[in-house]
Amino acid sequence: MSYFRITLVRSAIGLPRRSNDVLKALGLKKRMATVFHPVSPSIAGQIMKVKELVQVQEVDRSLTKQEVHLERKPDPGYYVEKTSGVEFKETTSL
Amino acid sequence: MMFKPSSPLLSGLLWKIPWRMSRPQKARQRERLRAVDRVVDTVSAALERNGFQAKAVERWYQEMPREEEMLPKDKYTIFDKKEKKYRKGIHKLPKWTRVSQRVNPPGF
Repeated sequence: MSYFRITLVRSAIGLPRRSNDVLKALGLKKRMATVFHPVSPSIAGQIMKVKELVQVQEVDRSLTKQEVHLERKPDPGYYVEKTSGVEFKETTSL
Repeated sequence: MMFKPSSPLLSGLLWKIPWRMSRPQKARQRERLRAVDRVVDTVSAALERNGFQAKAVERWYQEMPREEEMLPKDKYTIFDKKEKKYRKGIHKLPKWTRVSQRVNPPGF
């Protein structure tokens, strides 16, 4: 089973009540919010109602909110050095 | 000079919408049309892969032309019965960057 990854890129301010309600039903409350829904005809119909406002991808699994957030996390710019013994233990145990 | 006197600033409510769209405006309009096409294609491909069908998607493909199939006339102008020659710029349509307006009434 695959999922729709739906991101709201344009706001529905000033649009008919119907499109605002569809976004609410999909769980999109603010711009750049991302939600995952299983691929089904009813979700497809909802996406078609707001197709001008969203970006859609088909993905294999649904990510949690935290995983979506971590995708955008920048590289910290440093790494913590370890002794070779600790590093060897970590790599071999995995 | 900070203040540049112009008619919209000197008088009260005076907004002017130019009668035609600029080149970058048209480019962004094409980009938006293509974005909608991309969304519909993604949804349709996902449904097909999972063995589903949706009426809204089928209807879109039956009735709506794609961006590359549309005439410039239909991309940048819209039918209006009050206008001379029945056409006006699509940028006069309220919320025009967030609505799909692709086809004309029959006969126009």
